[in-house]
Amino acid sequence: MSALLRSLRDGRGFDVALAALALAYLLVFSAFPLIYNIAMSFQEVDMFSLGDLVRPFVGLANYRTLFATPEFWSIMSNTAIFVILCIVFQLAIGFGLALFFQQDFIGASYLRGLFLAAWIIPALVAGAIWKWIFAGDFGVLNYMLMSTGIIDEKIFWLSTPAISLYSVIIANIWLGIPFNMILLSVGLAGIPKDMYEAAALDGAGPWGRFWHMTLPMMRSTIGAVTCLGVIFTLQQFDLFASLTQGGPANSSNVAQYWSWQLSFQNYDIATGSAVSVLMLGFVIVVAFFYVRSTRQEYQA
Amino acid sequence: MANFTKTLLLGAAGVLAMTAAATAEPVELNVWTIDRQADPGYNYVMADEFMKLHPEIKINIKRVEFADWANDVMRAVATGTTPDVAYVDNPNTPFLSAKGALLDLTPYLAESKIVDTSKIFPGPLSSVTWDGKIYGLPRGSNTIALYYNADMFKAAGLDPEKPPQTWAELYETAKKLTDPAKNVYGLAFSANSNEEGTFQFLPWAQSTGADFDHIADDGAVRALEVWQKIIDEKLASPDTLIRGQYDSMASFNAQNAAMGISGPWELPRMSKDAKFDFRVALLPTEKAGDTRASALGEGNNVIFAKSKHPKEAFLYLEYMYSQMPRVWNEFGFLPSYPVEAKDPKWADQYAVFAESMKYARVRGPSPDWAKISKAISTGIQQALTHQADAKTALTTAQTTIDGIVKK
Repeated sequence: MSALLRSLRDGRGFDVALAALALAYLLVFSAFPLIYNIAMSFQEVDMFSLGDLVRPFVGLANYRTLFATPEFWSIMSNTAIFVILCIVFQLAIGFGLALFFQQDFIGASYLRGLFLAAWIIPALVAGAIWKWIFAGDFGVLNYMLMSTGIIDEKIFWLSTPAISLYSVIIANIWLGIPFNMILLSVGLAGIPKDMYEAAALDGAGPWGRFWHMTLPMMRSTIGAVTCLGVIFTLQQFDLFASLTQGGPANSSNVAQYWSWQLSFQNYDIATGSAVSVLMLGFVIVVAFFYVRSTRQEYQA
Repeated sequence: MANFTKTLLLGAAGVLAMTAAATAEPVELNVWTIDRQADPGYNYVMADEFMKLHPEIKINIKRVEFADWANDVMRAVATGTTPDVAYVDNPNTPFLSAKGALLDLTPYLAESKIVDTSKIFPGPLSSVTWDGKIYGLPRGSNTIALYYNADMFKAAGLDPEKPPQTWAELYETAKKLTDPAKNVYGLAFSANSNEEGTFQFLPWAQSTGADFDHIADDGAVRALEVWQKIIDEKLASPDTLIRGQYDSMASFNAQNAAMGISGPWELPRMSKDAKFDFRVALLPTEKAGDTRASALGEGNNVIFAKSKHPKEAFLYLEYMYSQMPRVWNEFGFLPSYPVEAKDPKWADQYAVFAESMKYARVRGPSPDWAKISKAISTGIQQALTHQADAKTALTTAQTTIDGIVKK
């Protein structure tokens, strides 16, 4: 008994106990819900069998139903457009701003701090603000564009099927820029200053330094930020809920919102789970790249 | 003689039951509601009054957010922790009764001296009926009608005593009242992608004889084509497709729409915000004299099958049901059976809505209403955004619905 206690206090037992705690946490809060979700996507589930573990097994029927829905492919392509455009612009603008604030000028760090305000705002509040900006009849954006003579007719940013998805993308890019900027700033701060000085002495211009020094040194940071960005973008739910609810006619619907609609509006939990399993598969691939890019960081 | 003995026996049983109740432990009833304690708070008021009448029964109220309602009830049914009594939105009632989650009230109703189900309006009655049995009692209802701005009618040279009666008149009137220069649309309504879109569209379809199980009928197609025309010609804001009824009606109150389709729940806000003469008319039909239809809102009080105190729960349901004459003035619901409302608030508007109640039809009833509703609102939106013509969109919706209903 005392041997066990001693081993727990300082010895192998302590290590095992720590690992077991972390493992137990992962099992209960990550593995179990994940497996439960995957299981549900192969079962016939309704509201009343939600608490049971044993439910009729239906094989791939839920997935077949899913693939057969007429909106499946358009929602998947919306999701791809949403993720790609958001990431590209968030990263580009965030990187630009990070480089800008890396320069030495008065108030640079304060201004950079101010950018974080956008990140602190809850997405639902951001959604309410953007809804007001994008409103068709009395929106701020339309008012600005019309009073400056850029457009003659109101644009219905949220209710025109060809535009609605892009409106949500614009809002989400705005929301994601601070996060990208901060992480990239941290990466930039990690590049030793004397390297730049040496390169400048050797005659490398600003572009040369950016292409041949900053970008290669930032590779793993950019990789990590991109992977996290993909995951955060796939999580974006509040903006859809507050701006368009995926409409009109699913023109701005994406997988994560659709999964929620199926599960909690249609009570079609099995099909909703199937959508989230598809997303899960994709996120696992992204997470794999994320882990790889951070591992290189350690080695470097 | 036989009858007399029976009455005597029943009476004796009644006395026994009463003494049993008097000596037994105080009964606790758990009640779930979506009411807020602060504003009218229907269930809070009812429970207080009921407990004064029945000191031996204690009522614990738990408030559930309307948006979380389905989730919370789901979880409760799945884990066997359902309350005794709950409020259920009317289109969701069949979902619970069909699965046996609710107590069949039919035997209790047979002995009730307070409830006469034959008096309940057909809409609310069919929402609590499943397979010939009754699974709940309506607490009140609501429905939709056409609000219009009488001042704008006069200004446009229209007779405010003659609101549009038919779809064609509605279209013409909306066209006359639309004035883009002044930011005024002719009509405000909701065609969004969830329940509200379906809620607003169904009465149009139903008045032509169509319904959710034959939604691609010609009448429904014609109704959707009228909606298309109204949106295409911008007689209503394109944002109609992403706005709920409450937001749409805000534009009516602000005089940015001359007419609006919505329900009596708008009246408190409207009487504060709307600085003009607002009136209400029955929902137009396709041709004068067509069968009328209107939507049915609000919901029912139900008892869960696993309740340990069904008798006391039923007493509470009876009490709430008996208070129907008050619901308009105090809680803003329309009575679900004909009552004599004394001195009703907004008397003119009340008269129209009360009449509209006669035509209010239940959505469904179907245990899969949520899925059916989604199919219909998707069809509506496809047609309004011209991804498909009205016939194709509704035929697609019908195919989806057939798949759901047959399953």
